[in-house]
Amino acid sequence: MNFTFHRKRIAGVLVVVPENERSFSEDMKNFNFPEARSLKLKEVMGYDKRRVVEPGVCVSDLAVFGLEHLLGEGLLKRDEIDALLLVTQTPDHFMPATSSLIQGRLGLKQDMLCLDINLACAGFVIGLMQAFMLLEQESVNKVVLINADVLSRKASPKDRNIYPLIGDGAAITIIERDDEDSVIHASVKTDGSRAGALIIPAGGLRLPSSPETAHLEEVGDNNLRAKDHVFMDGSAIFNFVQTEVPPLIENLLARAGVTSEEVDYFLCHQPNRFMLEKLADKMKVPYARMPNNVVEHFGNNGSVTIPTVMAYNLRERLQREQLQVCLAAYGGGLAWSAMLLKLGKLAFNNIIEYK
Amino acid sequence: MDKQEFYQRLAEILDVEEVKPENVLKDFDGWDSLAILSLLAMADAKYGVSVKAEEIRAVVTAEDLARLIEAKRK
Repeated sequence: MNFTFHRKRIAGVLVVVPENERSFSEDMKNFNFPEARSLKLKEVMGYDKRRVVEPGVCVSDLAVFGLEHLLGEGLLKRDEIDALLLVTQTPDHFMPATSSLIQGRLGLKQDMLCLDINLACAGFVIGLMQAFMLLEQESVNKVVLINADVLSRKASPKDRNIYPLIGDGAAITIIERDDEDSVIHASVKTDGSRAGALIIPAGGLRLPSSPETAHLEEVGDNNLRAKDHVFMDGSAIFNFVQTEVPPLIENLLARAGVTSEEVDYFLCHQPNRFMLEKLADKMKVPYARMPNNVVEHFGNNGSVTIPTVMAYNLRERLQREQLQVCLAAYGGGLAWSAMLLKLGKLAFNNIIEYK
Repeated sequence: MDKQEFYQRLAEILDVEEVKPENVLKDFDGWDSLAILSLLAMADAKYGVSVKAEEIRAVVTAEDLARLIEAKRK
């Protein structure tokens, strides 16, 4: 499905990562797995360091920390926030929405909209789209989009397929109207028939958490996982990305009348280095124009990876100038999305540590 | 499909000098989830076919694997 937006812009990006860093080599010592193969995994997939929260830290804690930083530095004013959108798969509670909890903790004005959006790795692009749509309203001048997850808390420490690569974090993106006559193109697709490829089977009302769902089961290759934990069919996700994402981007660029060479950067969701290199190969894009280094420094932090790519690789450049970028975000749902926009002259584009 | 070239690529994935058609895949030390993922990527990039991990796990020898990918190309 295609979307077009006019006169909207990203004004600033702040990424919050937990101070607590874990190392892949250390984590792999807990698994019954040959060291040589661990090294190969590290080399090929780019697994190395990652940031995870301490026990008990929730999404609202990361979000409030980041917003207090922006308010304290004078980069955002309390009363100018007209809408607060939170994209997360790991809310503080079933009820109420975590965005309301964030608003309450910060003492923001009542005259505003708070909304939780349940999306995984595709959530940065779709969150931006929601923000652009809200900005069509005269009463809405500034939208705060928060992408945040603490998925490490739902990953089995005994599951080598997911535990050593998950990162936690939050990104705060400020979206506002653009004085220039800018056009943003976006495209989104969903296939719920493949929802089982990325799922936390228990803990909702379909299968409530119980002693049985907390029981670790042997799931092959010496891995143990409970139904309360996140499951990812890595090879199915790999095939999904290689098959669906290149045509989505090609069609988006064709519709916008922009060639691949005219795109300064392809800022994609970061599952691992291997998948991004294969995606770049397939799309015939040089690796330098599709950065793939988030996982090795921070882990895969879900819908926070794209803001992390921006802040880690293009921090100063995006504050100084404007670049033509294509975003691509894909994951649980399954959902996949892409967006072509002019990004830059950001008021801020930083990474801070949650302590 | 050039079978020799295919076995050479398979050898690179498995970190060995040579792979023979009759070799049983499970007998290689390097036969694990990373090898399977690398095979999916190779099948897609070099032969333009999308193979499922379950299909790869179901075959026994290197030759079976070559046949699986060849059949998908038709």
